[in-house]
Amino acid sequence: MSGHSEILLFQVGARVFAAEVYDVVRVGAVRNAQEPELLVRSALGEPFARNRGIVVASHQGGTEHTLVVDQILGVRTVPESDVHPLPAFAAECLQSPSVTGFVLVDESPMLLIDLPTLVREQRASAAAAPSP
Amino acid sequence: MADRKEPKPDGPVGAGDGGGGGAPDAWFFCLRMMGGRYAFEAPLVTEVVRLGPLTRLPAAPAFLPGVFTHRGEVLPVLDIVQLVGQGSVTIRPSTRVAIVHCGPWRVAVVSDSVEGLVAIPRRTLEPPPAESSGVAEFLSAIGRDAAGTVAIIDLPRLVDTARARAVPAGGTPA
Repeated sequence: MSGHSEILLFQVGARVFAAEVYDVVRVGAVRNAQEPELLVRSALGEPFARNRGIVVASHQGGTEHTLVVDQILGVRTVPESDVHPLPAFAAECLQSPSVTGFVLVDESPMLLIDLPTLVREQRASAAAAPSP
Repeated sequence: MADRKEPKPDGPVGAGDGGGGGAPDAWFFCLRMMGGRYAFEAPLVTEVVRLGPLTRLPAAPAFLPGVFTHRGEVLPVLDIVQLVGQGSVTIRPSTRVAIVHCGPWRVAVVSDSVEGLVAIPRRTLEPPPAESSGVAEFLSAIGRDAAGTVAIIDLPRLVDTARARAVPAGGTPA
């Protein structure tokens, strides 16, 4: 549908986020996912439980990773006029490039997350972390 | 509900003139925080509004407690008290913010309360204390009016410094 965006609303911990449906491969239970493919802790925080996941294809090589979330709240179609970039000052200050903007849902701003960037960021962070 | 405040241009006024022989007053916008009165150049302020529901940002520095929507525009909130390491402003349903333009940035400055416009003759402004820590780092002058002392903040410099301090450099998410 021209002039509209389809967004997926999901919850991590106590917060609700939005992501472009286009970036989502599938959603479902995480019990079948292998541990290395799971992203439990990210810039979005940590979920209360490990029940649901959003499967995302990373930019490189199409490898799939599962972002663990607490709830999938559904898909909404919103007019593109309700999708806003981050305010310039906030964009300059944020330490995660995966937060790209906002979607106004029922007049409340929901953070719009670039899921492939979040995956890439977390994989890079994990790779850079010292081994235990 | 918005409380629009149109800052007046510089010019001679009776009140706050300090009896100074027609010296032009400068208009400042005054806020209360950290137990004192702080102000910045009034023309930077476009309006004062009640702070709406705050959306917290992940991985944001502590001085950026979140964003809120005002007339369809998403605005970042700047907590100066956090930036200078003096605690934080307690956000209440009645909290108001001053929306300011600082160069390319448009931010909403949160404070304990909003006093409004004050006029101080420019010639009576004194240099700030020679400290370089806390809020003193960002003061450009000290003024006085009938209500007492006002510390004048160089807001553009403060906002630029905030941005520079937040630039990602492998820091830990807030």
